[in-house]
Amino acid sequence: MKKVQFKSSYSQYFFLAPQLLILLIFLYWPIIQTFRDAFTIQDAFGFGSYFAGFDNFKFIFSDPSYYTAFKFTIIYSFVITLITGSIGLLLAVQANSVLHGKNVYKTLLIWPYAIAPAVVGVMANYFFSERFGLLYHLFNNLWGFNWYQDVFDAYIYVVIAGSWKQISANFIFFLAGLQAIQKTVIEASIIDCKSNIRRFWTITFPLLMPTTFFLIIINITYSFFDTFGIIDTTTIGAPGSETKTLVYKAYIDGFKGLDLGSAGAQSIMMMLIVLVITIFQFRYIEGKIHYN
Amino acid sequence: MKKIISIFAILFSFAFTSNSYSKTEIHWWYGNSGFLGDVIIEIANRFNESQDEYMVIPTGKGSYEDNMAATIAAFRAGDQPHYSQVYDAGAAIMVAQVKNGVVIGFEEMAEKYGIDVDADNYIPGIKNFYADADGKMVGVPFNSSTCLMYANMDILAEVGIEEVPRTYEEFEAIAQQIADAGYIPLLQSHSPWIWTENFFSRHNLLMTDGNNGYDAVPTKTLFADTPEFVMHWEKVKEWYEKGWYGYKGRAWGDNQAPFTNGEAAFWFGSAASFGGMKGVLPNFTTNPILYWDSVTGGKEYPTFIGGAANWILNGHTEEEYKGLAKFIEFMGSPEMDLYYHNMTGYAAVTKGGIELAETINFYRTSPYHKAVGDQLGLEGSTIPGGYRAGNWPQIREVIYENVEPMLNGDISVEKALGNMDNGAEKLLAQFAKTL
Repeated sequence: MKKVQFKSSYSQYFFLAPQLLILLIFLYWPIIQTFRDAFTIQDAFGFGSYFAGFDNFKFIFSDPSYYTAFKFTIIYSFVITLITGSIGLLLAVQANSVLHGKNVYKTLLIWPYAIAPAVVGVMANYFFSERFGLLYHLFNNLWGFNWYQDVFDAYIYVVIAGSWKQISANFIFFLAGLQAIQKTVIEASIIDCKSNIRRFWTITFPLLMPTTFFLIIINITYSFFDTFGIIDTTTIGAPGSETKTLVYKAYIDGFKGLDLGSAGAQSIMMMLIVLVITIFQFRYIEGKIHYN
Repeated sequence: MKKIISIFAILFSFAFTSNSYSKTEIHWWYGNSGFLGDVIIEIANRFNESQDEYMVIPTGKGSYEDNMAATIAAFRAGDQPHYSQVYDAGAAIMVAQVKNGVVIGFEEMAEKYGIDVDADNYIPGIKNFYADADGKMVGVPFNSSTCLMYANMDILAEVGIEEVPRTYEEFEAIAQQIADAGYIPLLQSHSPWIWTENFFSRHNLLMTDGNNGYDAVPTKTLFADTPEFVMHWEKVKEWYEKGWYGYKGRAWGDNQAPFTNGEAAFWFGSAASFGGMKGVLPNFTTNPILYWDSVTGGKEYPTFIGGAANWILNGHTEEEYKGLAKFIEFMGSPEMDLYYHNMTGYAAVTKGGIELAETINFYRTSPYHKAVGDQLGLEGSTIPGGYRAGNWPQIREVIYENVEPMLNGDISVEKALGNMDNGAEKLLAQFAKTL
């Protein structure tokens, strides 16, 4: 990469200042505050506060439900990424090759993206309510589905609720990716190979890798952070604490339990996890992707 | 253009009219919604109409937990309301805040601003629940409920049961009959509150060490160490397996809905729950919650107060506190107390309110309202009328987390109660560090 150097002058800081100020107030200051909370013990109103070293971290690691939340978050983000990615890709490929009414399909498939997670959760509630839920009764007839009690069934519930909306996001980006592939490449490949499926895996899919990589990151971040509203409006973490994500647990402990020390420590752990995942992705996966 | 200008003119005139009165504003935050929230607004309106010096502005903040979090955040930002509704599980946290100058105790306030309502005017059980270690009332009792048993009399008549059971033993004797008729015999809406905290109060058993936290800061809960409590959950699990008890998840409403729809014979809920049932369920009664005859030897003990109290927050002007004192006095009057009792089903909290109810023969026309007072008014308990344990909202979470795997059969009852004790012990220790 070529390095471009401008002559230094102070005016640049002046123009940067508004943006920096916003970052400082809304990003760095809360982070600093979180660090402060994580290393202090204080009561709900902030009194009796003292430096506690790693006590809050010891506390969360002695809590079995923290490990459950950790396990669930990993499983959840993996499953959601896989499901939303593959269904989104399938729909995008289909919508891209449709000849009639392309725009209708596109619009309808994009719509769910505009719905807030909490609203999705409430809608999922209607499907999975024991009283009038269609899916509840369908699954219940098939294998005795009961998410109030069964961990696996609760997983199914939150995975369906969590992926539905995100499929749209995957669909949009995959569709855009597909349309960006040059026609000439596709046409040339048609001459060389008759099999649709083989052509997809050897030509189209590799060319979609940048999109896929981007979506993996988006989906993981989504299932880590944005599914909060979905959990809160569906299972509220039950049964046991099996469907609590790390974010949801931090919220429960911090806002309902009013233990800011523990919530702060959990936030820092979350920051570390996201950091590790991001570094891993950019170092080991991105290197294998060709953008051109 | 003219239209826009006239719209602005109208908006401005509104802005000025609302500001032109210089009434002293008193902010009251609350954590009830729906109908209960409407009643709170109505109380404030009535006060505002009764005089023209002060204006109480009620603001709903969502649930109890939401309101508590909002109040704390506001305090930390120096923008707290004058008066805030905090629920039973948060009482220990609020009482502990008197020494930090966050909360002004009721008795201190009454002395300073001459409220005409004495702390002794409140029912002793309710007064003690919100009192500090010296017995001085801190929180101002407001919506006080307890857990009650609702019975669907039509189902009982259908299966030929004449008397509503009073003990768990009596319930066990009839449960199969109800199940055979295709109904759910029993549901309950809050495992920590009804079947944990109030299991202990109903059977006159201590729930934590340090005399439920009244004598010393508690260090552990006595769940697995109380054989009666272990027995109770063994039984519950057995009922669950037999179909005598139906578990519908953690949400209060999901457990109440089958009862409201006439699919369950008994449901344990709050004294203030019947509002939504009237007109839906034709024939139901409110009854004292069941107890184990084998545990108490036939004696009945009162349950803890549930619901919430209002707490006076520090940091405002004397003039505003005078207004708040007037408002507290207004709410503590027998008429308002009975009005609230009648509208919501929460217990009457003042002696004056109860006397008034008797004078006008209130319970003859409103039988649903009676059970709560009867149950809270029981005497003979040797344990304190409440518990002072910090981090209790999280301990409730721990209880929930272990009830489900226990009913599932993933872990044994003993193991589940042991897990609850362990979780609670850590949370209590964490709270003790902040004192």
